[in-house]
Amino acid sequence: MLPSHFDRGVVEEYAPQIEEVLREASKGEGKALVELSAVESFDSAGMAFLIEALEQARAQEVDLRFVGVRPAVSDFFSLVGIERLLVPEQQAKGGNFVEKVGDLALPMMERLGAGKDLLVEAAHSLMDPSSGGKRAGRGRFFLELEHAGIGAIGIVSLIGFLLGLILAMQAWVQLKVFGADKYVADMVAVSITREIGPLMTAILVAARSGSSIAAQLGTMVINEEVDALRQMGINPVRYLVVPKVGALALATPCLAVLFSTIAIFGGLLFGVFVVDLGWQVYIEATSEALQAGDILGSLIKSTVFGTLVATVGCSLGLNVKGGPVGVGKATTGAVVASIFMIIVFDAVFVLLLRVGA
Amino acid sequence: MRIFKRKPRIPKELLERKSRTEDLIRGIAIETNFDGRTVLKGVDLAVTKGEVFVILGPSGCGKTTLLRHLSGMLPPTLGIVQLFGRDLYTLKGKELAELRGRMGFSFQGGALLNSMSVLENVALPLRESTDLPWEKIERIARLKLDMVGLLHAAHLSPSSLSGGMKKRAAISRAIALDPELIFFDEPSAGLDPITAVEVDNLILKLNKVFGITMVVVTHDIPSAFLIADRMIMLHEGRVLARGTPDEIREMKDSKVQDFIHRALPAEEQRSGGLARFLKT
Repeated sequence: MLPSHFDRGVVEEYAPQIEEVLREASKGEGKALVELSAVESFDSAGMAFLIEALEQARAQEVDLRFVGVRPAVSDFFSLVGIERLLVPEQQAKGGNFVEKVGDLALPMMERLGAGKDLLVEAAHSLMDPSSGGKRAGRGRFFLELEHAGIGAIGIVSLIGFLLGLILAMQAWVQLKVFGADKYVADMVAVSITREIGPLMTAILVAARSGSSIAAQLGTMVINEEVDALRQMGINPVRYLVVPKVGALALATPCLAVLFSTIAIFGGLLFGVFVVDLGWQVYIEATSEALQAGDILGSLIKSTVFGTLVATVGCSLGLNVKGGPVGVGKATTGAVVASIFMIIVFDAVFVLLLRVGA
Repeated sequence: MRIFKRKPRIPKELLERKSRTEDLIRGIAIETNFDGRTVLKGVDLAVTKGEVFVILGPSGCGKTTLLRHLSGMLPPTLGIVQLFGRDLYTLKGKELAELRGRMGFSFQGGALLNSMSVLENVALPLRESTDLPWEKIERIARLKLDMVGLLHAAHLSPSSLSGGMKKRAAISRAIALDPELIFFDEPSAGLDPITAVEVDNLILKLNKVFGITMVVVTHDIPSAFLIADRMIMLHEGRVLARGTPDEIREMKDSKVQDFIHRALPAEEQRSGGLARFLKT
């Protein structure tokens, strides 16, 4: 027997009761009746209560029926498709640790594959004189360059400066134990130029531009803007992807040089004012520590990273499905996949250039 | 450049049915499957020059998919699409570009590029497909905007336009290259009845004045009967009826009448759900 107003205020009180009824019925003849004749009004919580009861009844193989339903309530009932609501929930995907890591890494590899295809198509569209989008795309490269490059100068400089300072402090704490204060300069110069400069810059570019590229292209896809371009005879790869990849491939190494220079300057300030090394000593130590190969390697690395970030962002953005949620996923995916691939490529670089040689 | 990722399958017997007449568009036995689900099945149609051809049907009947097939955006799984007498999905680079220059497309949401002004949007196909200097292009774009009554909004960003203005701007972009044929995807969707009639009148005006052939996909029954010279009605991926608006109105078929009079088909009316668990 249920009360006259069966709503969210009272449903919980009846939960133990119905469980009891079902338990008894499953032991007995397998049939149960719920009296609804007193029920005048009903809300969604009441409805959910009944559906839950039916679900439990089905699990315990009890034939549960409702009796004495008033017309107003039965109208409410006819609105829902009970079969659809009674489908059992799917079991959560299990798997051991290795499988889980695999689930994480495999999509990354797929993204890399899709990115490679897109890059080939972009290169192709650049060579192909009949490809649409050339005239309309004029000037877009500089817009992208301004957005991805000049727009990032502030944050890259700030983080570069702070990181140079932090690195110098950390190095000094360790080195002064051995009385090797002077090597703070070498430490900062080499680690920044070879590793931290290109890596941090690429991660910043991924966070700033990779995400914005994926979000922008994804939104264009769901607004049918990409279809519209194609319909106007403009190749979207030529018009949208080529300028973005080109701009990031050029902007990232420039930003990496800026980052490294300012980081070394940050280290220098610490070296001069705290460690008391003197300007000239510090600068000389830095220039001795650095080799042309370090700077060249850093430039090549950054160019590859920039291309990677733009390609991954474009390929995820252009393949967005499923509306705004899809755009959100693509944006997150672009940053995560970019950073993952930056690290993987960095490892390959170190292996080839340092360990191999 | 890869134009179409896949080509439709064309059984031999279909080749004999290719049109040799002056039909502007001819669709033969078009069939589409998405992930094993059949969206369109055996759709035939022919659009003649200068007419307003309406594809009418409820949401989810496959009409937008059909429009994408006809306009060269998406190859069907099977069948032939002929446009201006050419086999659309066998064309490459230049030929396809030439064909695209002869048609315009008005997307459901307008699909204006948000990164540029309304004027630049209209100018975009002109910049891409012609060698005219910018001054000329701007003049033409302003002319096209004036035709749809949007000259005052030329320098606004698309995001600041109302729904009806977006549609008109999209139409203005579709007519930028003086096309012979325009495809419309749901021109009156999301518009109030008054604005919808304005857009309908604009379609009719462009048809009468410039003789542009129009292919319009819609679920809006009054609008369809107002603008159509001929129409087909789609139901669950098949052609349910075809003819002039008057012919369709006279049809006895219950599904046709149900749709025209906005009735819910009897078998689809929901009876049931929880009601089955009531003990009488």
